[in-house]
Amino acid sequence: MATADEARRRPWPSLVGARPRFNRWSALALPAIVFLIVVFLIPLAARALRSVPDPPGAGLSNYEQFFAQRAYVNVLTNTFWIALLATLACLVIGYPYAYLMTVVPGRLAGLLLIAVLLPFWSSLLVRTFAWQVLLRDTGVINRFLLDLGLISEPLTLIRTTGGVIIGMSHILLPFMVLPMYAVMRRIDPEYGRAAANLGASPVSAFTRIFVPLSLPGVLAGSLLVFVLALGFYITPALLGGLKDQMISQLIVQQIQQRLDWGFGTAMSVLLVGITLAFLFAASRAVRLRDVFGSGLGED
Amino acid sequence: MRRHATVPAFLAIVALVTACSGGGGGGSAAPSSAAPASEPAPSDSGGASPSAAGSAACNPPRQEGVTLSFTSFGGVYQEAQRKAWLEPYTELTGVQFQEDENSSNATIKTQVESGQVTWDVVDVGNDFGLDVHKDLLEPLDYTLIPKDELNADLGITDYRIPDITYGVVLAYNTEATAGKVPEGWADYFDTAKIPGKRGAWDYSEGGMLEFALMADGVKPADLYPLDLERATKKLDTIKDDIVFWSSGAESQELIGSGEVAMTMIWNGRGWSAKNIDKKPVEIQWNQQIVTADYLVIPKGSPNKDAAMKFIAYTACADVNAGPSEFIPYGPTNKNATANPAMVNDLSVTNADENSAYFDDTYLAENFDEIDAAWQAWKAG
Repeated sequence: MATADEARRRPWPSLVGARPRFNRWSALALPAIVFLIVVFLIPLAARALRSVPDPPGAGLSNYEQFFAQRAYVNVLTNTFWIALLATLACLVIGYPYAYLMTVVPGRLAGLLLIAVLLPFWSSLLVRTFAWQVLLRDTGVINRFLLDLGLISEPLTLIRTTGGVIIGMSHILLPFMVLPMYAVMRRIDPEYGRAAANLGASPVSAFTRIFVPLSLPGVLAGSLLVFVLALGFYITPALLGGLKDQMISQLIVQQIQQRLDWGFGTAMSVLLVGITLAFLFAASRAVRLRDVFGSGLGED
Repeated sequence: MRRHATVPAFLAIVALVTACSGGGGGGSAAPSSAAPASEPAPSDSGGASPSAAGSAACNPPRQEGVTLSFTSFGGVYQEAQRKAWLEPYTELTGVQFQEDENSSNATIKTQVESGQVTWDVVDVGNDFGLDVHKDLLEPLDYTLIPKDELNADLGITDYRIPDITYGVVLAYNTEATAGKVPEGWADYFDTAKIPGKRGAWDYSEGGMLEFALMADGVKPADLYPLDLERATKKLDTIKDDIVFWSSGAESQELIGSGEVAMTMIWNGRGWSAKNIDKKPVEIQWNQQIVTADYLVIPKGSPNKDAAMKFIAYTACADVNAGPSEFIPYGPTNKNATANPAMVNDLSVTNADENSAYFDDTYLAENFDEIDAAWQAWKAG
């Protein structure tokens, strides 16, 4: 109920009635929500519906067709496998990095932040091609090692799953580091000192106090990277081998070239569906709201 | 029949009159021959002979106030089309062009299905414009187009005519092959004879299956229906040596740098590696696949009739080979004369009994099976 007190305390006009527990600032999100519904959710739903009756009377045949092709199912599985590997790679690199950002002096932390954000400012394609130039048989790394006489045959760095993971983790690293950093910097250093006071070694203080407290950031970063990685296909196409095919490539092929939108959509729906299932499972393990709510600009 | 002959002759005269009075500024493509005017009035024996459609195509009427949209693939390619066809056509007819550079089958489908068709003439690849796309395209008016003059091997349908030809060919880096010359696709598959990696387009219907079969001894005429088992078995023999590329630029880079000793490549990219990048790259034309890009009109195009006339114009023998002034893409009209400086670098001039042609209809109808076999081979 809009009491006179409340009206005085909050001088801005009430936008959505006066339910006390409703934070009226959230009304500011309305344009964004409407925007998302109109340009994202509705088209998405329309697309998803199309996977069933296209071609007319198809029923679930688009899905049957997909699962009947063992090769296509393999590509779908492979997509999740590569996304998982890329996530792990980002985690292994990103965790120490984010930790370092929290312990070094402010100016250096700023530099580290810029370094991790730098890739955002160049195109994905350019960076992937750059990796090609570095990694291929006649590339910079192999030339260098060959000239030094360290190797006699070029190392196979490109057109392997390893090459894909290198390229993808370079692009995805910021999405891992930033959420982790946001969580880590809010961990009160006093906890560590308290643990030391109680006789914990630095290592056990780190593993038993800091790591558990940083887990929400780890999960948030991993989730973000994993979901983004699922949609990749240019990087695997350029840096991967025959087997490093991702489902997005098949989807593009069906939508753009074959014009079989029913089948293409069925594949997209499968990808979105499985991804949502992952997100749902993750939301049981960690409160996503807390994680994504912890912006860098806080406090 | 009588009608067919009358209309072109009439158009020819109109065009000639307007061309004279308009004082066209000597555009290379402006048909200067007086032949149409001296042609006798349509007689019973005239009929719809190729030359009648041909001269009509070459002599479009003036169409003041018409703006056509022309969509192709951009870059030097579209620039060549612009100079060879669009600019002369504007001079000849007054038709203005509005260009887009993002040709896409999916965009045509979107426009047609939403009823918001803004594209009039679209340059598409060989996987489009087939009978299966009849709901998306206007049937072409073959009374205007000199169909008999067009290369019949190129998969002409009711909905598309080829506008330029190119080849899917074998290119090799002479340094990487140490001077050895691959004679054909059998040598591509023979890494003992000529060692080195092999480049291939990562696309099931891009030509690799056909090349594998040709390497295995299948004659070009017997390629279809594709023996998928035989093709993938042949591909297995060099599986570890294959390097996939997914864009033309990548193929050019792979062969130019010598990262691969040989690659399948679009002849324009092989040409650029040699002539623009100045790399030791040569093309083996033997056992090439000759294919084309096509012009289509999306169903419901607001300028359908004007679009028909323009498409017919591109097929005119006088201008059809125009793009070869700029790029190594050849004519589709058998009577067209290509740029002499480029003639040895064109797919059509190098075509012989060993050359193959895609069966686009078969490939479209059997895509699912072919692609599944391809994906299975890659993952296996």
